[in-house]
Amino acid sequence: MSRSNEPIVWSLFGAGGMILAFLAPAMIVITGFLLPFYFADRPQDVYRGMSQFLANPFAQLFLLAFIALSLYHAAHRLYHGMHDLHVHGPRIAMLLLFYGGATVLTGICAILLLRLG
Amino acid sequence: MTAKPYIQRQPAGWWLKSSAYRRYMLREATALPIFLYCLLLISGLYQLTQGEAAFLDWLQVLRSPWVIALHVVAFAAALFHAWTWIELVPKILVVHTSRFTLSPQLIKRVHQGGALACFVGLIGLAVLLLTRATTGAG
Repeated sequence: MSRSNEPIVWSLFGAGGMILAFLAPAMIVITGFLLPFYFADRPQDVYRGMSQFLANPFAQLFLLAFIALSLYHAAHRLYHGMHDLHVHGPRIAMLLLFYGGATVLTGICAILLLRLG
Repeated sequence: MTAKPYIQRQPAGWWLKSSAYRRYMLREATALPIFLYCLLLISGLYQLTQGEAAFLDWLQVLRSPWVIALHVVAFAAALFHAWTWIELVPKILVVHTSRFTLSPQLIKRVHQGGALACFVGLIGLAVLLLTRATTGAG
């Protein structure tokens, strides 16, 4: 019997759930209201502020952790949600699509952040 | 002759039958707007690497009706997720030793307080940071 991947995916799911519960509402207010509306009259300053902030390695790590863990969390719930909805595909293909997709997007995010550094 | 195993067929709409199942599916469905929101963040990050004009375009996109709608739905989903998630924390985080026990209620309240503090703190930090970039020495 092959070894279960459950501990790994559940850890990522759990960490993502925690980080989402604590940070997602504020992140959504920031990108949904603060950036486009509250600071609407000075978009150049928003650009300057964001560039400066995301040049900091700790800020980069924060954003990477938020996006990556949220993606793994969402992938886990959507993967199991497919089963709940009786939508089935080949197991390997479904695993690659959901967890692989989250991994690819995390990689893209890391590359983009490195370019800002 | 071997007996066939009994397989109970579950109709695909099983979760519509009870309010607890519907609530469960709604909770799981919060992952969808969260996922779309992550894509939006990654697109903003990409635009930021492309320079000022590209990032200003992205800020403009944030003001379009569909993206506002996504933010509203994602915000509701994030709140529902946060509420249900922290409701479950005391079931997983059980602190019970020979010397002391933390009550589940206390563990839940501390997490709720922490989440509220993070909400206020992160928004405050963002306002401070962007205001400083505005008035600032740059």
